[in-house]
Amino acid sequence: MMMESKDRESTGSSSILERIKKNSLVQGWLVLILALFFGSALASVQLSLGPKIEMNKLNETLDKVPELVLGASQLDEMEAKNQKLDIEPMTVNVDKNNKKVSYNVYKTTYNGKIIGWVVKTKGQGYAGNIELLVGLDSGIESITGLFILDQKETPGLGNKIVTEKWRKQFINKPTKNQLIVVKDGADALNEIDAITGATISSRSVSNILNIAITDLKGQLISG
Amino acid sequence: MSYLADIFLIALSAALINNFVLYYFVGICPFVGVSKRVEMAVGMGCAVTFVMTIAAFLCWIITTFILMPGAPLSKWIAGFFVPANVAAGIDLTILSYIVYIFAIASSVQFVEMYVRKFFPALYRSFGVFLPLITTNCAILFACLTIMSKIVGVDNPADAWDLGRSLTLAIFGGVGFTIAIVIMGGIREDLELCDIPKPFQGVAITLIVGGILAMAFMGFTGVDVGLRNAIMPL
Amino acid sequence: MADQPTATERFIQGILPENPVYRQMLGLCPVLAITNNMKAAITMAASVTFVLFCANVVTSLIRNLLKPHLRIVVFTLTIATFVTIADRLLAAYLYQMSKTLGPYIPLIIVNCIIICRCEVCASKQSIFIAGSDALGQSLGFALALSSIAAVREILGTGMFFELRVLPAAWPDWVIMALPPGAFLTFGVMLAAVNWISSKKEKN
Repeated sequence: MMMESKDRESTGSSSILERIKKNSLVQGWLVLILALFFGSALASVQLSLGPKIEMNKLNETLDKVPELVLGASQLDEMEAKNQKLDIEPMTVNVDKNNKKVSYNVYKTTYNGKIIGWVVKTKGQGYAGNIELLVGLDSGIESITGLFILDQKETPGLGNKIVTEKWRKQFINKPTKNQLIVVKDGADALNEIDAITGATISSRSVSNILNIAITDLKGQLISG
Repeated sequence: MSYLADIFLIALSAALINNFVLYYFVGICPFVGVSKRVEMAVGMGCAVTFVMTIAAFLCWIITTFILMPGAPLSKWIAGFFVPANVAAGIDLTILSYIVYIFAIASSVQFVEMYVRKFFPALYRSFGVFLPLITTNCAILFACLTIMSKIVGVDNPADAWDLGRSLTLAIFGGVGFTIAIVIMGGIREDLELCDIPKPFQGVAITLIVGGILAMAFMGFTGVDVGLRNAIMPL
Repeated sequence: MADQPTATERFIQGILPENPVYRQMLGLCPVLAITNNMKAAITMAASVTFVLFCANVVTSLIRNLLKPHLRIVVFTLTIATFVTIADRLLAAYLYQMSKTLGPYIPLIIVNCIIICRCEVCASKQSIFIAGSDALGQSLGFALALSSIAAVREILGTGMFFELRVLPAAWPDWVIMALPPGAFLTFGVMLAAVNWISSKKEKN
């Protein structure tokens, strides 16, 4: 160490070199080069995979739309004849008590005639948000389908809202009256059977549907 | 009024109902490793809360102004190099994870300097655990949650503002502290018990943690009831 | 350096004797969070394998250029980059699984296993040894995840890889699919592993 400092004193120019070498920016040259290298790798990943990921996000909903509006059997018929629905995504803004709420709505048409609507909406469930797609007929007079996109309900209990058996109840329900969830035997046209042990989850779904239908009924038919 | 109600519900949810340790399983390493004594647990919990708040603050600012699609600062800088309409579509979210982890590392450095200067005894008792907070999943998890509430929402008006993000961070840290302090208290008593050899150490801690998680499950749905009571539709 | 483990030895060590989860107690967050079902566990294990292998190889390539006080920065940068790549690949090709795994993929960045292997092994050994170390540790990690996921999925839903294994009359132990079940299962499995290894030591 003593020799080093003597050398440093005697040669003034090399001390500047030493100072440059000790500068953290220079010592970090590896970090900077790596950052550049990784940055460009990530940019290329973004360029190549970005569009595919966007498509995945869109298709997640778009894939479900035909079945929600037509029902499984009619959809099979159409596919056998190689016919496809035209789907037009749109945003519908609704004014509620001075609050603007916007809905993602998918308008389905075939040869220019409106076949039905699919609304993506969400609301509070028992243990988190429930996000769902509901199919409505062209005049918003009945429900044509229901699909749960995302939920965090209790596995084995509230989780059962995703089962087809429970969701089937909603098909052909009229929108004239609000949907009510009952615990024992649904009789009237606007009643839905709750899942045993998961009344809150069942009621959350019906609440979300009631709110969406009430909000959009006027908007979609006139607009 | 509804903003305050929203903040209250976020705080309650982060601290108790969706507790970071007992529901989301983040921050398990200190939960299982450090919590042998209540004083250590309280100190660790406070340090994590402090770091989490600073990190969340940095992450919100960086995400909103630089990283998110169409962010103001990036748009302005890109505007010097490319035409305006291309610059408006700039999306730097691919760099999020790298930026967040370095923001967290910087927060930990900052807190370390602060503790070393003002609480030297505490600094010595922490030892190596303070820098290790960088690898604490809970902090990165808080940042990722905030990112998903800014970048992942369909409707830009729903994106979280700074207040909500900081609330999540602070009360997430509070929930973490609650969990490890309870665990510390239980482990202090466990040392006096006669535990079978295979279970000694981490195994019995995990089983106790499971029972604790079951207890916290009792909080499920509280926020729904409160939300319906406070903010009637 | 004659007493350093060879590549094959490192590979075998990583699977059981130095299992990252059961022996080293590293990377516990995904072990509890992702082990609801086998599919998620295997996907997570595959992602960790990818990140660990790439990070180890890259670190080993630049091991002679690392400055001591900046090495953690370099490790973190490398790991974060590969985790981002893994996350984007999952979102592009396994979108549903990516949504299920959610924030736990980016949490691989702070997974202690990867930083630990980079620090202990990759920054000091050749590429070949670092690579086989990564593969061994990843296999051990996959084994740990699968063991817990199998128990949780079979007891919690009666299914294994979403195929029914237990008769329909089995009352699902729903608690297994929930957070407490993760803690309890892992605790009991850990005790079992401790017991087995202490029996081996006695012999």
